[in-house]
Amino acid sequence: MIELQNVKKVYPNKTAALNGVTLRIDDGEFVFVVGHSGAGKTTLMRLLLREEKPTSGKLIINDFDLTKMPNYKVAHYRRQLGVVFQDFRLFPNKTVYENVAFAMHVVGTPASKIRKRVPAILNTVGLGDKLNRYPNELSGGEQQRVALARALANNPKIIIADEPTGNIDPEMSIEIMNLLLKINRLGKTVIVVTHEKSLVDYYQQRVVTIEHGKVTEDKVGGMFE
Amino acid sequence: MSRYNPFYFIGQAFKSLWRNSVMTIASILILASCLVVLGSFALLVADLNLNLGELGLMNEIAIYLDPELDDAQVEEIGKTLESMSNVDTITFISKEEGLEEMRQDYAEYSDLFVIAEGEANPLPDMFYITYADVTKATTLEYQLSEIEGISKVILRLDLAMQIESFKSGMTLVFTWFLALLFVVSIFVIINTIKIAVHSRRNEINVMRYIGATRTFIVTPFILEGALIGLFSGTIAYLVEWYLYTYIEQIVVSEIRMIEVYLFSEVWQYVLAGFLLIGTLTGAIGSSISLRRNLNA
Repeated sequence: MIELQNVKKVYPNKTAALNGVTLRIDDGEFVFVVGHSGAGKTTLMRLLLREEKPTSGKLIINDFDLTKMPNYKVAHYRRQLGVVFQDFRLFPNKTVYENVAFAMHVVGTPASKIRKRVPAILNTVGLGDKLNRYPNELSGGEQQRVALARALANNPKIIIADEPTGNIDPEMSIEIMNLLLKINRLGKTVIVVTHEKSLVDYYQQRVVTIEHGKVTEDKVGGMFE
Repeated sequence: MSRYNPFYFIGQAFKSLWRNSVMTIASILILASCLVVLGSFALLVADLNLNLGELGLMNEIAIYLDPELDDAQVEEIGKTLESMSNVDTITFISKEEGLEEMRQDYAEYSDLFVIAEGEANPLPDMFYITYADVTKATTLEYQLSEIEGISKVILRLDLAMQIESFKSGMTLVFTWFLALLFVVSIFVIINTIKIAVHSRRNEINVMRYIGATRTFIVTPFILEGALIGLFSGTIAYLVEWYLYTYIEQIVVSEIRMIEVYLFSEVWQYVLAGFLLIGTLTGAIGSSISLRRNLNA
């Protein structure tokens, strides 16, 4: 469960990026976080990833109190999350298989388990036949699917996707969104930060709108206003 | 709980060394030169001490007694010497012992010494004393010359002082030189690691999001620094080996009056010292760099 209570974030230059956000996302939910540029979406992401701490308020994610968490626990906290970025952030010198395996390797998974799990996840995202390709040999949509597989590798409870369709064509975007829904049905909480109106409207999920650092709307089956 | 594979870290460190080969080579050469200077200096000081210890020149005074003295008077002077504060050890050499020593030193002419036996012995009785404090040696020399029955006092202070000042001058120059070289070495290693971190910054970023611990991210870089140190130590050892053996051969074959440690006697210390100091310097340089350039 993700819970924000009156979370504020003010940067040292006095910019108030979040002005008291209160939000609750239950386990297994699918949520779009929408808003215009500068609304505070990125700051919210950074707080969820514990890149930054809130200035005030409470932020609790799966038993981790991010407002009080010491730095040395951050790595273990982040293993609860699978993150997907707009620019994929794959390792260009590693194959598809190696990119996904690396995520498991980083958290100290035994090699035998990695060998079993990586092909299975890549099958889930439809890349079972491209294990030995390098990222530059794949389309944008395929690269994003590798990134999704990597995010899933350590079986996290929450998937956070930051503009996951921002760098890929519309057809592929649908594919990625379908995959995220599929992942959601497997029991994962999925948060998609986006400003793509058509996608949000099409999928009819819970939509949290942020404007000027505040939640201005929170509706199931919502539209991008 | 699963564990990290150490070969992964070593592999990453080697890859990074290879990727930044120019900086790696620069770091290794500078640190290796630093170690060679350090090692040469340490060996020089060791050899110097070996020679000074052998010759006993540093703190010995020879005291020649008046030949007219009887045994009781000689004994009296011995007691006076014992009571003096800066006197460390006292050795009495009677004129008979003195003659015997000479006879042994010039064994091939030992027959000639027959004419100098008994009453004809021209040698005086002597004391050899060693002193504890070189700075008060001249005072002691004066005090000794004032004692009745002592005909001559020979203090090898000039030589002792020269050696002492040579040693301290050399120590000063080398210490500064070394300090400078170490600062440069650390600086170069800091920059090498900085470049390594920079070239992997995207990878490090992703690693953080995936949940890599600081240890996981940092260990390859620390190892990279340590490996630079290890290679430097090895190269420095080989250079030192060549240099020292070269000098050793000249000294052993041509300047026989100087004694030197043979490289075969000390190589373990040189190797262990180089590897240890090299590795530590590398690891420390790398840690400093990571603290500055990686906010993990």
